[in-house]
Amino acid sequence: MVVIKSSGLRAALKIIIPFIAIPALVLIGVYVFEDKMYAYISLVITILSIVLFISGFEQRKIGTRRMVLVVVLTVMSVVGRFFPLIKPVTAITVIAGIYLGGEAGFLVGAISAVISNFFWGQGPWTPFQMFAWGLIGLIAGLAAKPLKKSRAVLLTYGALAGMLFSFIMDIWTVLWYNNGFDVKLYLAAISTAVPMTVVYAASNVIFLFFLADPIGRKLDRIKTVYGI
Amino acid sequence: MKAFDSYNPIVLFVYFLTVTVISMFAFNPVMIAIALVSGFLSTLTLAREGCGRFFIYAAFIFIVTSAANPVFSHNGVTVLFVMNDNPVTLEAVLYGVAMGTLICAILMLMRIFTKIMTGDKMLYIMGSASPKLALLISMTFRFIPLFHRQAVKTERTQRALGRYTEENAIDTIRMKLKIFSMMTTWGLENGIVTADSMSARGYGTGRRTSFSVYRFRRTDAVLLAVLAVFAGTIAYLIATDAVKFSYYPKMSGIAHTPAAIVCYVLYGLMCMLPVMNELEEKIKWRYLESRILGSPIR
Repeated sequence: MVVIKSSGLRAALKIIIPFIAIPALVLIGVYVFEDKMYAYISLVITILSIVLFISGFEQRKIGTRRMVLVVVLTVMSVVGRFFPLIKPVTAITVIAGIYLGGEAGFLVGAISAVISNFFWGQGPWTPFQMFAWGLIGLIAGLAAKPLKKSRAVLLTYGALAGMLFSFIMDIWTVLWYNNGFDVKLYLAAISTAVPMTVVYAASNVIFLFFLADPIGRKLDRIKTVYGI
Repeated sequence: MKAFDSYNPIVLFVYFLTVTVISMFAFNPVMIAIALVSGFLSTLTLAREGCGRFFIYAAFIFIVTSAANPVFSHNGVTVLFVMNDNPVTLEAVLYGVAMGTLICAILMLMRIFTKIMTGDKMLYIMGSASPKLALLISMTFRFIPLFHRQAVKTERTQRALGRYTEENAIDTIRMKLKIFSMMTTWGLENGIVTADSMSARGYGTGRRTSFSVYRFRRTDAVLLAVLAVFAGTIAYLIATDAVKFSYYPKMSGIAHTPAAIVCYVLYGLMCMLPVMNELEEKIKWRYLESRILGSPIR
């Protein structure tokens, strides 16, 4: 099957998706479906933004070594998801973002979501998880400097990321359930998810507290030794 | 191996995508019931392993999601009772039950999706869209067992050296994290070796292609065509409000015009496709078997 084999088409996608497809979808949602299709439109837009990111990744030449480091970190986070209750996925995604750049962070987060869902079950929620985790990694990459400098900032970001993940997933839950956004339901969804959110945030803080420095040092060392 | 496995992954993916999208549009009670029944039957025929626990989980999700609606939504005209100065309406309860059922049906469908669309099939689909991403994912799959084995080795070595203590919970956590940290070092170093080996063998010199064992057969084309006709008709009927059903403010009657019945039947056939496929294969197998037994050469 040929989907995006030609580089010209891929380049075109980079312009078409953000400037034409996404606005068009939003307008179609408002005018054609009379605001009834929030869940589908948000799903399609999420998928499109992931496609956009991947097509950028596909185009750029990144070194083999760098790519394999992304794989290694992804494996660490997926393997970590088998620990009971506390999951290091977010922590490792953040670390990848800080030390290997935003793109690597996005990829580690997004691919961890896909891979671990092969074990935990795929579904319409997979793109949202990819997006949420990818975003957490991307932001970590963009804010690498302050995150690297101050431990307090890093741990705060970890806690916030746990909440962000939960909040993004609940937007989707409400959109689908209610066929439209409802603030009361959203608040209810968030409040029923409070225990999980607390666990997410706490495990992020714990893992970042213990892992950020050692793994960061290792990554820095690898980068110096092998010149990546 | 189930009969449905033998189709081309792209066709299977299109099938699951179509059924999921249509099911998510199906607010009509008849269609929700069809989705639930077919989800149940397909789980029993295609993904039987561990389905007991899954059904318990689905029942839990059903209770939570159907109870949530009447608590937060006070639309509807038939008030059942008043709770905390808020009316609980029949319409809101039924909407909650319908949505809960729909969510359970989608969960079942997704479980079958996960069972049928195994890693290699997803890789085949992704590989055609983004070879690099497919490579990343396939390497991750390969590294998981490798890392697991290495982690076991590391832990045993640490134990043998007498450096592994687990006297209390904090100790255990610290040791687990220590192993995790060692694994990271090893993984990164090993990754670099892998990367160098890949470069040495010519990775990145040409355009990346991906290997696949899947072919596009005539049966795939037939299934795709059937799917297109079914999905097109159903989508048209839904779009023209043939099966329209509204819960608020008062529930409308269930549509039973010829168009609506066509829609129900087609949707039912589409949902039951994997089950019918499996049964067809089973019957064929039995038939062939009995012919052999009944043949003069025994």
